[in-house]
Amino acid sequence: MLNPPEGLPKDTPRYDEMMSDGAPRPHWAPLWDEISGLGADTLADKLRYIERQIREDGVTFNMYADPQGTGHPWELDALPLILPPEEWETIESGIIQRADLLNRILADAYGEQWITRERLVPPSLIHGHAGYLRPAHGMRPPGGVFLHMYSADLVRAPDGRWCVVADRTQSPSGAGYALENRVIVSRAFPELFKELQIEHLAMFFGALRDSLAHFAPKSDEQPLTVLLTPGPYNETYFEHTYLARYLGFPLVEGHDLTVRDGCVWLKTLSGLQRVHAIMRRQDDEFCDPLELRSDSALGVAGLTDCARRGNVLIANALGSNIMESGAWFSFLPKICQQLLGESLKLPSVRSWWCGDPGVLDEVEANIDNVVFKPAFPQRRFDPIFGRQLDAEARAKLVARIRERPADYVAQEAIALSHAPVLSRHHPKRMQSRVIGLRVFACATPNGYLVMPGGLTRAAGQGNERIISMQRGGQAKDTWVVTRGQVNTFSMLRRRVQVQDLVRSGANLSSRVVENLFWFGRYMERSENCARLLRLALARLVDDDPSASPVEWPAILAVCRAAGIKLDGAHPSDPKLQAALMRAIYDDHAESGLASSLQSLFNVAFSLRERLSVDNWRTINRLLQELAHVRKQNPPFARAIASLDAAVVAVMTLSGFTLDGMTRDQGWRFLSLGRRIERLQFLCIALDEATEHGHEDGLEWLLELADSIVTYRSRYVSRPEWLPVLDLLVMDESNPRSLAFQIYGVSDYIQRLARYLPGADSDMLRPLVDRLDALDPAQNLAPEDTQLQMLLTEGRRTALELSDFLGLRYFSHVDTPTLQLGT
Amino acid sequence: MPTYVIEHDTLYSYSSPVAVSRQLLHMSPRATPWQNVRDHRISIEPRNHERHERDDFYGNRIVDVAIASPHRHLRVCARSVLEVLPRCDSLANLASPAWEEVRAGVAAYRSQAALDAWAFACESPYVPCHLPALAEFADASFTPGRPLLEAVGHLNTRIYDEFTFDAQATSIATPMEEVLRERRGVCQDFAHLMAGCLRAKGLPARYVSGYLLTTPPPGRPRLIGADASHAWVSVYCPQENGAVWVDFDPTNNCIPDTEHMVLGWGRDFYDVTPMRGVILGGGEQTLTVHVTVVPEHEAETLFRQRSEKKAASAETPDTVARPRQ
Repeated sequence: MLNPPEGLPKDTPRYDEMMSDGAPRPHWAPLWDEISGLGADTLADKLRYIERQIREDGVTFNMYADPQGTGHPWELDALPLILPPEEWETIESGIIQRADLLNRILADAYGEQWITRERLVPPSLIHGHAGYLRPAHGMRPPGGVFLHMYSADLVRAPDGRWCVVADRTQSPSGAGYALENRVIVSRAFPELFKELQIEHLAMFFGALRDSLAHFAPKSDEQPLTVLLTPGPYNETYFEHTYLARYLGFPLVEGHDLTVRDGCVWLKTLSGLQRVHAIMRRQDDEFCDPLELRSDSALGVAGLTDCARRGNVLIANALGSNIMESGAWFSFLPKICQQLLGESLKLPSVRSWWCGDPGVLDEVEANIDNVVFKPAFPQRRFDPIFGRQLDAEARAKLVARIRERPADYVAQEAIALSHAPVLSRHHPKRMQSRVIGLRVFACATPNGYLVMPGGLTRAAGQGNERIISMQRGGQAKDTWVVTRGQVNTFSMLRRRVQVQDLVRSGANLSSRVVENLFWFGRYMERSENCARLLRLALARLVDDDPSASPVEWPAILAVCRAAGIKLDGAHPSDPKLQAALMRAIYDDHAESGLASSLQSLFNVAFSLRERLSVDNWRTINRLLQELAHVRKQNPPFARAIASLDAAVVAVMTLSGFTLDGMTRDQGWRFLSLGRRIERLQFLCIALDEATEHGHEDGLEWLLELADSIVTYRSRYVSRPEWLPVLDLLVMDESNPRSLAFQIYGVSDYIQRLARYLPGADSDMLRPLVDRLDALDPAQNLAPEDTQLQMLLTEGRRTALELSDFLGLRYFSHVDTPTLQLGT
Repeated sequence: MPTYVIEHDTLYSYSSPVAVSRQLLHMSPRATPWQNVRDHRISIEPRNHERHERDDFYGNRIVDVAIASPHRHLRVCARSVLEVLPRCDSLANLASPAWEEVRAGVAAYRSQAALDAWAFACESPYVPCHLPALAEFADASFTPGRPLLEAVGHLNTRIYDEFTFDAQATSIATPMEEVLRERRGVCQDFAHLMAGCLRAKGLPARYVSGYLLTTPPPGRPRLIGADASHAWVSVYCPQENGAVWVDFDPTNNCIPDTEHMVLGWGRDFYDVTPMRGVILGGGEQTLTVHVTVVPEHEAETLFRQRSEKKAASAETPDTVARPRQ
């Protein structure tokens, strides 16, 4: 048995999406029956299933206010919003007309401006909008399409009619979340989904993908579309990665692209690749630092001009932000009549642009029933509900509006419709929440196509006015019941084809590869640094502080050679002790542990689309732990415990990443970074050890190279030069030996050279030759010149190789600088 | 008719090579009814570059330069010969409507001229005309019923009187509130300020970028590179048939005549920055700008002296980041 949902005050009349006169509406009846028929336990299982899916798929939504930017799990309700076919058809035809209308207005605003000449709209709506981009004036995008993706926020009034409360024209978000919602919810109710004959979404995304290719400028190659994201800190980054994967578009950031010869190119591992279309999630003015915004180096310098010359399609066209202003609403009916010769099918919510002469008095008289919103993006403020203000606040607001009326839009505050949600705690007691529906359309060669479904959002408990995912709201799947046969076209099936796999390898962007390379290096560097500092610190606690152990000078020399700044020389010198503690805990201390870990974290964070969340969480936890301990002014023993923890964490991390990643080019660069770093560090350590070290105390060197266990299993004697050098230099079976690094790097380079133009497969030949020429009988002694030359050569090769890779494959990853001259 | 030779010489030096550079130049003078461009060319080094030209939204010429080969220096030298006709005399007798009438005409945008003027009536990146302080400052000049040009002239003089020219006080990033508070700045600040006051009053105003003829101190010779870019404003003034834009120079308390030369106009400095670019690489950079404005009859001697002097010794560079006048 089931009771009608509760939880909203009854004093305001609202449209009930599910119930009518105490019974479910016909199109909701199957769902009602399903829920009634299920036991509380089964329902709870379904809810758990949904939660687990979201966690496992990593669906997140970043909050602006979240300093860590770590992303919050997406809140998804189990129950869909269900719409019957006749109701959907009204929405659909209204959205098609509206998308078409807004597209024509954009074309006019960036062209003739006939609408202002005909006095259909005041000129300040265009010129007063900070998003009106003068450099985009006069551009004619391919096919005359400015709006490729359009979305509208709809709400339903108490009389059952839908109306638009916001147009999204710049880079609408939500379609990817809608898709993810569908995948999860349809799996939670598979039979019901089938029985109700719900329209599938895949067709829509297929049309979007194909249309972008269709409108893109033609060239000899297969058109390449990329998805441009502002990066992992964006609130909808999850959606960018999800859509990119689903549509088969490489996900790129601004500096992955470059402009040459008036065209846009993607910097890939195998060179530059022409980009024909850009689906952007970057805001207008951040797209091109050269022409669009002079105080930001984000974006792609020269992009605007490529679009101007018709060499790239940008979806949506630059400058489309102007249509997001609610100030247009009151002018749309007339413009629609004039431009399309028909009346506006899907009304906007009743609105007044306060800059319109004479409307202020009307707005003031209706202040109880309106919500105020900014007319222009440069005057941002949260919606103000007139009803919520006391007399004094009202008078203040009115005075403010009268000062600059053009900055304000007043919209009728509609009592939103409500739909049921399921509570995790009482799955059989449905709750009512007010809802809004975001719908999506894309431009196709045959006109606009509307996604049969959408992103329904339910407000948080106790909130009846504002629907926001940032204020405890939940998403819902949106089910559109079809009249006829369901189209079962699936995009997912396409993903397993061979050509896609090949392409995704070639399109690995230089930025991702560079980050993986540095991820490998910082990972190794952090481990080396932690081991080294642990050695040094252990010498401070173990012995009589007045004595200096025999290996001390060598350890100190390695520290300095590795870049750690240390004042003083004697272990009992407080200056030296303080410097060691700084090297562990202070992330501003050069070449120290904290700074290496910080770099590692930064790189890992920008690789979120490639690494699992656990990876960077491990580092983050360690960093926070270090920061915490540092504040307590820890004794040496506590610091050693920190270093132990660091070694374990980093080793675990490298195990995870090297084990859990596919063995593609990216993986190869990660391993290469790790090997090069280890090669360099080993050469430094052996160099200093052979110069300052004493045969009486060589355990430290074995410890540093994590080879002490192997040594003890082979030799009963105390460490001596010959076996130690054999194990650390020549033994190819020891993953910590020089030989292992040199042969390994050489092998990687030869493999890379097979795939990548310009790589010299013989780069490591001189070093390999030198290693092969070593004779254990003669050269494995600390003072041997052949050995010294190998170490010097090894260090130099590591540096050169890193530079070479940087220049050859990542060079373009430099940050652009802005210049202003007079 | 006064004829001038203008040389605008910009040199960037970089501590490490620049791999890719893209520059937009607003350095080509506009032809206007009172200004004839007799000759104009821009030379760019390195010579190995791509160059395109187009007109911007306001009708100013943009030279778009792309350099894709590594370089340590970027030199852009614009040289123009301009004939400038007197225009002040005709303006002196120009009758202008009451400023409120102009404001009402713009708000109602019944004429094409009024509609076009809207492009200069709203706030822009460097002109936050919504600031209440701007309207307040303007109030003293815009008394009820005052003819537009008289009111604007009054404002022009007040900015000249109440503000101190100080090249050290501000940079391009200085907010207008600070300029208003400190009462100091350079031509750019005064032009932005005045445009802001006018727009706050509902009157369209342009930011004009250009040059000014300067006279060397008595007894001293004219020097190459002694001048600088200049900026002033232009206000929309409707007439019986059509409309005119009338220039005012608050930095020098005058109405520009034959000693002002126009490059172009926009809403503010952002729209007509003489040179704006994005580079990859380069490390530390130094910028040297030399502007020389010289009457044509003196030009030959002056520039000949330079080539002779150059042969003898190198010039001392004068590092200037922004307009100074």
